[in-house]
Amino acid sequence: MSPTAGRHAPAGAVRGGTRVPRPVRPFIPLLSSVTVLGAWALVAHNGGAGWVQAVGDIVAGTLLVGLVGPAAVVWRARLRVVDSPTDATAGMPVELLCAATTRVGVRPLEPSGPEAFVGPGRHTAADARATVTLLPGGRGVHHEVVAAVSSAAPFGLLWWTRRIVVRLPVALHVGPRLGAPLSLPPRPDDVGGSSTRRATTDVGEPRGVRPYHPGDNRRRVHWPATAHAAELMVREMEGPTAEPVTVTVRLPGDPAAAERLAERALGTVVALTDAGTPVVLDTVEAGGVRVAQVAGRRAAGRRLARTVDGHTRSEGVTVTPAPRARTAGRVEGATR
Amino acid sequence: MSILDTVRRANRPGPPEHSVALRVACAGAVITGIAACRAEGELTWTVAGGATVLVAVGMFVSYRTRERPLPWIKPILAAAAVGAFIWFFEQLTGQVVYDVNTVENPLAVLFVWVQVAHAYDVPARRDLAFSLAGSTSLMAVAAAQAIDLGFGLYVVAWIAFGLVGLVAMWGSASEGGRLRAQGIAATLGVVAAISVVVLAVLPAPQVAGRIDYPARSAGGLDLPVPGGLAGDGGAASEPAKPGSPDGRSRVGGFLGFANRLDTALRGSLGSQVVMRVRAQRPSYWIGETFDDWDGVAWKANRNGRPLFAGSPFPVPGGAPVGAQPDLQTFYIAQPSPNLVFHADTAREVWFPARDLIFSDDSTIVSPIGLGPGAIYTVQSDVDTPTPAELRAANPDEGLLPSTRSKYLELPHPYPHVTALAVSITAHAPSAYDKVQALIAWIARHTRYSTDIPPLGPGQDTVDEFLFGNREGFCEQISTSMAVMLRSIGIPAREAVGYVPGPYNPITDLYEVEAKDAHAWVQVWFPGYGWQSFDPTASVPLANPTPGVTLLHDVAHALARLPWVAVAAVVAVAAVAMGALRWLRRRPRSWAEQVARRIERAGRAAGRRRLPQETLAEYASVLDRVAGDRSGTWRALADMAEASAYGGRHPTPETGRRALRSIPALRAATRRGARGGGPDGGPGPTAGASAPADAVGR
Repeated sequence: MSPTAGRHAPAGAVRGGTRVPRPVRPFIPLLSSVTVLGAWALVAHNGGAGWVQAVGDIVAGTLLVGLVGPAAVVWRARLRVVDSPTDATAGMPVELLCAATTRVGVRPLEPSGPEAFVGPGRHTAADARATVTLLPGGRGVHHEVVAAVSSAAPFGLLWWTRRIVVRLPVALHVGPRLGAPLSLPPRPDDVGGSSTRRATTDVGEPRGVRPYHPGDNRRRVHWPATAHAAELMVREMEGPTAEPVTVTVRLPGDPAAAERLAERALGTVVALTDAGTPVVLDTVEAGGVRVAQVAGRRAAGRRLARTVDGHTRSEGVTVTPAPRARTAGRVEGATR
Repeated sequence: MSILDTVRRANRPGPPEHSVALRVACAGAVITGIAACRAEGELTWTVAGGATVLVAVGMFVSYRTRERPLPWIKPILAAAAVGAFIWFFEQLTGQVVYDVNTVENPLAVLFVWVQVAHAYDVPARRDLAFSLAGSTSLMAVAAAQAIDLGFGLYVVAWIAFGLVGLVAMWGSASEGGRLRAQGIAATLGVVAAISVVVLAVLPAPQVAGRIDYPARSAGGLDLPVPGGLAGDGGAASEPAKPGSPDGRSRVGGFLGFANRLDTALRGSLGSQVVMRVRAQRPSYWIGETFDDWDGVAWKANRNGRPLFAGSPFPVPGGAPVGAQPDLQTFYIAQPSPNLVFHADTAREVWFPARDLIFSDDSTIVSPIGLGPGAIYTVQSDVDTPTPAELRAANPDEGLLPSTRSKYLELPHPYPHVTALAVSITAHAPSAYDKVQALIAWIARHTRYSTDIPPLGPGQDTVDEFLFGNREGFCEQISTSMAVMLRSIGIPAREAVGYVPGPYNPITDLYEVEAKDAHAWVQVWFPGYGWQSFDPTASVPLANPTPGVTLLHDVAHALARLPWVAVAAVVAVAAVAMGALRWLRRRPRSWAEQVARRIERAGRAAGRRRLPQETLAEYASVLDRVAGDRSGTWRALADMAEASAYGGRHPTPETGRRALRSIPALRAATRRGARGGGPDGGPGPTAGASAPADAVGR
């Protein structure tokens, strides 16, 4: 199933979850219990000893509680995610901080992950929290997690499990892995400047001070320089020297192919932004085509996480020069 | 996956179990089972002691080698288990399987040795679960032999170990899960409730297995007088005199169970359990009958014939028509008369002696004394003819004239008794109706009492009872009825024995007490034999069900509880728990006291402390609520924080003054919350200021 951008469960519905607990591999425990109780009943009924019947009744009560009690525990167990990250990468573990009303085993199903025990225990407090790890296989946006909670309390005789849907406190954007970038044309060198040896700088680093121009950000006023120059001076930041490009991503319908293409797209965007090239990312999301500049890997990962696949005729990742107007607006993922 | 792979997967060793609590609980459950078997006599001290030590050592060895089990141990343990099974079958070979010792004792030994062998190879949780389940089999074998409530101690101990082990199993499987106190209590409650419900709805156990005809001698010595009834001194019985509550008369014989039944004797018997009986239905367990009445005492003219058949002894005589079999096992608890009590009509007796003495009047006499621990089993054919059938029977038939005259003989004419009997039975058409008429008259016109005046010299018991005070107990009542029957030509005799006694639903035994000794009347009906009639009291003979009996017993027990004492104990316990709780929650330090009182004052003013608020911030809020611009609450909070975190403790006097100032502050805050508001509200009242020498200010 390909990741679907912006998955939401309708209000009040339990998508993918079942309210009815079910036993896990019950055949042997049930068969053993029925055999023991049947043999016991036969002996007690024909042995004429009241104590045999009394002890057998206690065994029956214990077995019944041990076999059926966990269903009630699982039914009443409540799990919540206390804290979760906002971004992740496909194939990399994501840790959720969870709390439960009682000790249960939690095994994430969508996204999948290993089982962990959550809830109060011998060495933990009543409100103790535990980490549950997700291993998202592919990109996507997750607002909830489908998990199986299981318990065998109080006697550990038979495990019961129930699927539940747990809402995440914040949406989890799982971006694709960093794939190999497309082969890009060499960037024309910026021949401005007289120094023969130039050290590269990142976009956004302070470059110098200059006089204030109307419209400059007042937070960039450089007071020492202002005092020195007796006029308002502002810091000048390093700007991109390369020409902006548009990375257009159209993913195929096949989920595996879409994932590979998304990885290459991310790799391409990261390579471009690392080189200082402003990148405008053109993707198709659930609400339609979205074209906006991205500042780095995180923003690009989020955009690719929301990208839907198989909705267009053309597939692939292309890099084309971007119109200046596209880069003048808000940059996604840029830091202030 | 092939079947072989499935089997391999199922038998794959599990991860090593590190929980010490689980191992100790499993060992405890197994050792409790061994102790229970020893208590029921199924294991010798050597076997029980050795097995206990070996189980403990085995569990320890398994724990130490849990990560790397010893590879050579499995073959050795398998060989030991196979050897135990071979030994068990050898024990049974050639045995006549009717005695308890022939099967259950070797079975107990077999289970013990299997547990011992298994204890050395329990590295994983699954193996420990098998040990726990194995202890159940030991308890079952011991429970099969338990006949009193003392076995309950072992059951309680075993349940405790078992539940601790199961909870530890869950804790280990859940990597540290635990049950809270409420959870444990709820679990125990549900287990107990289900156990009681299952006990109540299950049918009563039946004594039907061929394997369960126990008989055991308790070392009773041969009695010198063949067929004689023994006194507790081993000699032939003498006329009994009022004796001790357990029935012994001190001069020989057992009260009521001697060669004479002297109705002039007065005395009361106690509540000691003299024997326990497992039976398919409750019955009057007859000991002996008397046929010769002399006006004061009954005597028995019986010709006892020894039968040297060996156990089981076939009782001479044919089975009554339409009789139902009834199997009874008698577990003797006190030195008892050497009578083989049984439900009429005995057919076969399993008795630990080489001979028994049988008489024509259903009396069976043992040649050995019966003491505590003796066991014997009787198979009876119980005949319950309908009233219509008895009405159709003519008591004039079926008995030889000489025999019939024996059961009609009276020491002297009873003109008044005869006239009374004739008048009572004038309208009764059949012998059965006459019997019922007499019973009804006795129930209406006499009273039961053991506190009756002694019989004077020359007085006749029947005349005194019927025409005197009309008060008496079973001997007077039954004797009077027997005499009345004889006086109108119906053969009758006196029978003595025991009534069933209270039924214990846990042990499934009737617990016969000394005071359950009883005398009743037997009337001859041709084709049906001697039929018992009890004019003394209406004892219900319905088959009890364990659940109903248990509920009745619980209700009676509740009614008999000393509620005042119980209420006092509960009150004391509640006070103690409340005191303990208060002690635990009491603030340990001065700073904690101040903090609690500040919070309490804030709650009273309707402003709770938020989780993210420090004490100082909260106190500032309270100052605003109270309209206190001098910041008295804040000053107190600063003192408390300095004491708690800065180590700057106030002097004792300062601390006391600070605490004393809080009530006034609290009242001001409440007033401020009700009406004033933070600005313009009433200031603090006089004396409610923080001490001037507060530390840290």
